[in-house]
Amino acid sequence: MTYKLKLMPAAAVALGLLTGPALAQDKVLTIAGSGGAVKDATEQIFLPAFTEATGWSTKFVAAESNIMLEVETMLKAGNMLYDAMEVSASAYPTGVQNGFLAPIDYALLDPEGTLPEAAKKEFGVVAAAYSTVLVQRLDKTPEGRKMESWADFWDTETFPGPRSLKRQPQYTLEFALLADGVAKDELYDVLGTDEGLDRAFAKLDEIKDSIPVWWTSGAQSVQLLSDGEVFYSTTYNGRVNKLQESGIPAEIMWNGGALHTSYVGIPKNAPNYEMAHEWIRVRTMRPDLEAEYVKFLPYPNFAPGLFDTMTEEQAAQMPTFKANADAQFVADEEFWAANIDRIQERFDEWLLF
Amino acid sequence: MKRLSLIWLLLPAALLLAAFIVMPTFDLIRASIFDPEFTLKHFQRLVERGVYVDVMWRTVRVSLIVAVICTIVGYPVAMFINLQPKKRQVALLFLILIPMWMSVLIRTFAWIVVLGREGLINDLMIGLGLADGPVQMLYTSGTVITAMVQIMLPIQIITCYSAMTEIDLDLMRAARVLGARRWQALTRVYLPLSYDGTLTGLVIVFMMSMGFFITPALLGGRQDMMIANLIEFQVQHLNWSFAAAIGIVLLVLTVAMILLLRWTGRFAFRRLLNVGR
Repeated sequence: MTYKLKLMPAAAVALGLLTGPALAQDKVLTIAGSGGAVKDATEQIFLPAFTEATGWSTKFVAAESNIMLEVETMLKAGNMLYDAMEVSASAYPTGVQNGFLAPIDYALLDPEGTLPEAAKKEFGVVAAAYSTVLVQRLDKTPEGRKMESWADFWDTETFPGPRSLKRQPQYTLEFALLADGVAKDELYDVLGTDEGLDRAFAKLDEIKDSIPVWWTSGAQSVQLLSDGEVFYSTTYNGRVNKLQESGIPAEIMWNGGALHTSYVGIPKNAPNYEMAHEWIRVRTMRPDLEAEYVKFLPYPNFAPGLFDTMTEEQAAQMPTFKANADAQFVADEEFWAANIDRIQERFDEWLLF
Repeated sequence: MKRLSLIWLLLPAALLLAAFIVMPTFDLIRASIFDPEFTLKHFQRLVERGVYVDVMWRTVRVSLIVAVICTIVGYPVAMFINLQPKKRQVALLFLILIPMWMSVLIRTFAWIVVLGREGLINDLMIGLGLADGPVQMLYTSGTVITAMVQIMLPIQIITCYSAMTEIDLDLMRAARVLGARRWQALTRVYLPLSYDGTLTGLVIVFMMSMGFFITPALLGGRQDMMIANLIEFQVQHLNWSFAAAIGIVLLVLTVAMILLLRWTGRFAFRRLLNVGR
């Protein structure tokens, strides 16, 4: 356990005092999640359905990019404000390791066992699947050609032009290894060794000069592609719609993408533990609601029967669509939670020289 | 008696400082050396892993360059304003202040529009036939420095200017009457009298640059990391103690650099102008 700053809890208590009385009066479930498009869609679709099903009203809080920072602060202050929250792929192992999350009671949530095993984790239920994929601008690729593998991304002769990758080693080193011919199911075994790391960085060396900018947020990656700063970049699969809507011929390369799952979980000491399960049920087990949600954002979950509600064309845009899922590898968040400190230092050092 | 009661005027500021600067600073120091028992491992890691020392050095270098450019560009501007009639001075200062009403983020984004591959300058150059293809200007150290100078320049100009308003311009005339050339009146009278304010401006710009975060993150290439960017990463990964240790080193380094700047500044200035004896 790391040492925590003492003043942060004080700030959280102050926050609690400000928001507390309003919460105490009627039955309100406080849910934290990301802002922006995710918030809009959640407010339109899931929150009203939850109120209809339970009679409880809801309060949706757009949280910081790393929600575990907030949870840690609230736990420290002894005042947990959230009943349920989105837990991103990378936040999940952090939350589990630090004991920030309460276990899911599957007997309460899903007594009939309709959720597939893939959706069920000890401390969270899969709320959304998303991918880190390569997106290319077809108006910038050589006539009649497009990238079909990570080897193509590394092939600066056939595909000249500036590229971008995320400024972090997660889901960047994997792509380098794929380009170097490592098989998908061996990625993390290779990355776990010193030689494997050397190999990934050596591969990155080859395209270092073709990457003028390393993006740090999803919004930035889209902006780089849309401004023509780069012709090829990794980004999240849900972002590509924005490009297409603004008339830019952008296309996803599913081959070799990283498939992630994010969760809905319950923080430790949540004030309404049982009602939070009702929320999880609405958020993850209702195909009728989820079908509406994926029209906004192609981030599907494992609600039973979801794909039956979609047209073939719609389904083909989903990261969990069979052909797409088969082409990708499943990102190993536990590996990164355990190794990020060490590898990030090396990555930063690599960037500097 | 009168003096004592005046001290109460400082009470609100002192409370504010104690609660939001002094206490958190001590908390930061404690966080960096207790984890949870006393340990120096975080500082050890800082020193042993080359990347942190290197980024510190890069941060100091960029901040120094920005501060010096701001001084070289800002000083003549401040002097120009100070030598105008009073009414025009107000109007000119107003113009200098306008950019400061916009957030740093917006000013940083504006540079993306201007300097991008398909941005204003590249479009213009290609349109005029001055360049065959887009020139890479974004995501270079030069762009980071240019943008930081643009953001910091008003601060330097205002600080220089406020020091210059203290100068009795009759002294310059007196020097000329007594036979000094224009250049001599400037270097022997005007410069020494405005020196302190200028150095203060330089120090303020340097200090603020040391903590820059958004601008290098959005406009810099892979090598333009600054120390604030590394701190952010550690906080995101809940490494409070290590983040605190980097913060402490940044604080100590900044204070040390300020003392050094003050000392060398005064020394170099005296040598240069041969005054003060």
